[in-house]
Amino acid sequence: MNITPDEAQQALAAIQTMAQKTRRALSSSGAYLFLIVWGAVWLVGFLGNQFLTSQHAGYLWFGLDIVGALLSWFIGARMGRRVRSAGGSVSGKRIAWFWILLFLYVVALIGVAWPVDVKQIAVFIVLVIMLGWLAMGLLLSITSIRLTLAITALTLVAYFAFPAYFHFIMAFLGGGGMIAFGIYIRNRW
Amino acid sequence: MAELNETIHQPVRLRIMAALVTLDPGQELEFTYLRDLLEVTDGNLGAHLRKLEEAGYIAVNKTFVERKPRTYVSATPLGRKVFREHVAALESILKNK
Repeated sequence: MNITPDEAQQALAAIQTMAQKTRRALSSSGAYLFLIVWGAVWLVGFLGNQFLTSQHAGYLWFGLDIVGALLSWFIGARMGRRVRSAGGSVSGKRIAWFWILLFLYVVALIGVAWPVDVKQIAVFIVLVIMLGWLAMGLLLSITSIRLTLAITALTLVAYFAFPAYFHFIMAFLGGGGMIAFGIYIRNRW
Repeated sequence: MAELNETIHQPVRLRIMAALVTLDPGQELEFTYLRDLLEVTDGNLGAHLRKLEEAGYIAVNKTFVERKPRTYVSATPLGRKVFREHVAALESILKNK
């Protein structure tokens, strides 16, 4: 089989384009959706903390967390269908158990630390979730660690340096930032 | 010197192999996802996958996920090897230009 250098160049370009397209599609196909979903949850939830009574904000968070968890499960299931790997379903179940157990640890920690105010509960939950993200990042995607550390730093700075604006900062910079980063991944990666 | 592979060189099959070798060994891609990535029809993709499967370059795994039939495709070790050789052959043509 003989081909010209131009044909060889076109074939190599097609290979490179396809490999890049596959990598991008796989890496961004679900990650951006998780960010947008949880960014929206944070945006609405923290605005609720700012404007609603503690009791109503608590109900709002409860509802938002259920919606976020269901959507995450749906997105995760869709992603899992596209690419399978040996032992993939086993690790998927272990990851699910990790998050369920981590949630129970958060409940236990808040119970031990009680009484705590709304802001402290929020920081507790965010820090433990970030710990979970950090573990997932170390296992699955090192690049996501930067976002995890940035959100952790933002949470601590907002809590200690700007307590009066804590909920606004978490809503717009935390939640809004996650939505913006999700849209960036969707469009650029 | 590496040789060009006629089975792989066909444009759609070349892109199929490029997509599959991008995955880690042991990973497999779902048929409809691969179809959307390649922007081809079901029939077209099916025909090219058969050729690659007959050559032993890919493995096709038909299974059920949540009671729905699904087809997963992966590159075999032989497929990865001949694809690497094909790319090497293309690069050598460019070098000797």
